[in-house]
Amino acid sequence: MSLFKNIFSSLRPELSGDAENRERERSLDGAIRFPVLTLIKSALVWLVIATVFGLIASIKLHSPGFFADCPILTYGKVEPLFWNTLVYGWLFNAGLACAIFLLTRLGGRSGFSATFLTISIVLWNTGVTLGIIGIMAGEQLPYAWLEFPPFVGPVLFIAFVGIGLSCLLTFHARVYRSSYASQWWILAALFSFAWIYSAAQVMLVHFPAQGAIQALINSWYAENVFGLFVAPLAFATLLYLIPKTLGSHVIGYKYSAHAFWSWIFFASISGVSDMAFGPIPVWVPSLGIMASFGLLLPTTTLSIQFLSSLFRKFSVIWSSATARFLFAGSILFLILMYYKIFGSLRGSLASTQFSLFDSGVDFLALFGFAGMVFTGAIQFILPRLLNKELPSPTIVDLQFWMQLIGVILVSIGLISGGALHGELLNESIANSLAITKTLSSGFFLTTLGMLFLFLSSVCGLFTYFMIILSSRVEAEQNTDLISEAPELEYTAP
Amino acid sequence: MNRGPFIFLGVLIILVYSWVAVVYKPNQQVGQLVAVLDPDQGGRLPRQIQGAADHGKEVYQELGCVACHTQQVRIAAGMDIERGWGSRQSVARDYIDQDRVLLGRKRLGPDLSNVGERRPDAAWHLLHLFNPQINSPGSNMPAYSFLYDTREIVGEASSRALEFPEAFAPPVGYEVIPTRKAESLAAYMLSLKVDYDLNEAPKSLEAMADELAVALENAE
Repeated sequence: MSLFKNIFSSLRPELSGDAENRERERSLDGAIRFPVLTLIKSALVWLVIATVFGLIASIKLHSPGFFADCPILTYGKVEPLFWNTLVYGWLFNAGLACAIFLLTRLGGRSGFSATFLTISIVLWNTGVTLGIIGIMAGEQLPYAWLEFPPFVGPVLFIAFVGIGLSCLLTFHARVYRSSYASQWWILAALFSFAWIYSAAQVMLVHFPAQGAIQALINSWYAENVFGLFVAPLAFATLLYLIPKTLGSHVIGYKYSAHAFWSWIFFASISGVSDMAFGPIPVWVPSLGIMASFGLLLPTTTLSIQFLSSLFRKFSVIWSSATARFLFAGSILFLILMYYKIFGSLRGSLASTQFSLFDSGVDFLALFGFAGMVFTGAIQFILPRLLNKELPSPTIVDLQFWMQLIGVILVSIGLISGGALHGELLNESIANSLAITKTLSSGFFLTTLGMLFLFLSSVCGLFTYFMIILSSRVEAEQNTDLISEAPELEYTAP
Repeated sequence: MNRGPFIFLGVLIILVYSWVAVVYKPNQQVGQLVAVLDPDQGGRLPRQIQGAADHGKEVYQELGCVACHTQQVRIAAGMDIERGWGSRQSVARDYIDQDRVLLGRKRLGPDLSNVGERRPDAAWHLLHLFNPQINSPGSNMPAYSFLYDTREIVGEASSRALEFPEAFAPPVGYEVIPTRKAESLAAYMLSLKVDYDLNEAPKSLEAMADELAVALENAE
């Protein structure tokens, strides 16, 4: 019975203490607690599932006999299962949890009905589950990150509109009329995804365009899921959490608008560069390459903002788990953009095309950069929503290091292994069997990394359940437990 | 930047621009192609696949073969021609019959756009799909043995049973029969060949030099 009591006390805390301290935050937390917790819980569960799929897929690359008799887990199904659970399961739920938390905090009022939002979230996760089952049952489509069977598209779209609408209403109902960069990024992400998802669903899934154009739309969509949805939410989170964890302004905040517009402009086109040499007009990938190089501009601005702010208060990074995740995310962002921008050149593609290099860069983007930032944010949000301490700093440390090591190992396995793969594939006439043999050490490295990531995701889930299920100690009944950082968002640096 | 509608409009304009530039314009340029009739090359180009091969394409899609196999040949980069994976660049017209395009993005295995020409033997494909180690030892392609029935021989052995080399043979008294899915997949493999030319499709330099030599000879 005490477990139920604990859950109840987590969800409906009766706190005592100075009424003025955190009064505003407490009422905000009350309004968003249930939907945001639902999002975080779904995100963490999907992350565990995604790492299991990733582990199976990566084992299959060096030991093809693994689960070979299981028709629902052939490599051709597990690979899309991994990417789809990662994107639509983990990153969407986690990113939207951050978005709702940020919009409410920054606006000072929540403008949605928690029930409606929760129903939308449940619908979204039902859609993802249906999609996963559909792929396993053999209904998958051959488009990257759009493998879900056709009937799932409308479900996800309606659910997304429900979640997006709640976010928009929150922004609309804000008390502070001026807006902070995080809010722009979130709004842009919501608008963009509704647009690219409906465009891709219509032109690719329901009324498919002619053959080669489908591949082009697919490239455009897949890159924009990162560039226009996942990355903007991660930027929003970074721009909000850096001042909150460090207690000082973001350095160079006044350049945020430039970074914002140039990122949206260039990222929306950059994806098609990977169609170089393919059966489409040559000018299309050229446009993509130009746009990729345009990304140098916002990448520089954003990296300077994030990293110089973090370096100025470097000591905090060692003491705050969230700041450590943000720091790792910012560094990985820089590395990722180096590979993305220079990897888009025809000269690089002539060597890396069709190799695992591409998967490595995607992995770094989704698991490394965005994954790190969202994990850090979840560890910032949970204690504040529940007014409880994180159950065990050791587990959090363990999670951080395992996640970082996992990301590094998998990235090395896929990016440098992929570079070798591409070289053998595109610049020699070594046959596939010889290439497979040469790559096996990279495959083993990837498996080892996925194992670390699996363990770190289990730690994340464990932390979540521990903080929900633990009983509230006396200190946690007091609102003074968590001191709120100063509000730096609306004051000039 | 303090108003939602301003951000909404800005983002919308950028997205519409991106969609027009990257999706709409190319679709206008090469998205409305029709088949070519060329009696010299055997009629309609690209050739349509039918019957079992068409069903095989569905099986190919269902099993996610596209995760490791591309179906496109490039001449401006890579070694596709040297590897014997094709003789000319793949162009948009080659794909007009594919309602779900299987172009592919990864080559963990070989390109399959001309596999029907390279491996014209259905029995080879049936063995390969049952267990790739039989004719490609060391491959990391998974075995699709679940597409086959291993059953006891009752009476006379079936004519459709696979013929195994010694080391991989099923236990005595048993035979391995491909299901319809396996048969269709093999038929699809055999149907994959680009054995026709299209005017807009560039060929490799060697192929063009050969053609030029022939043309010059004829002119003389």
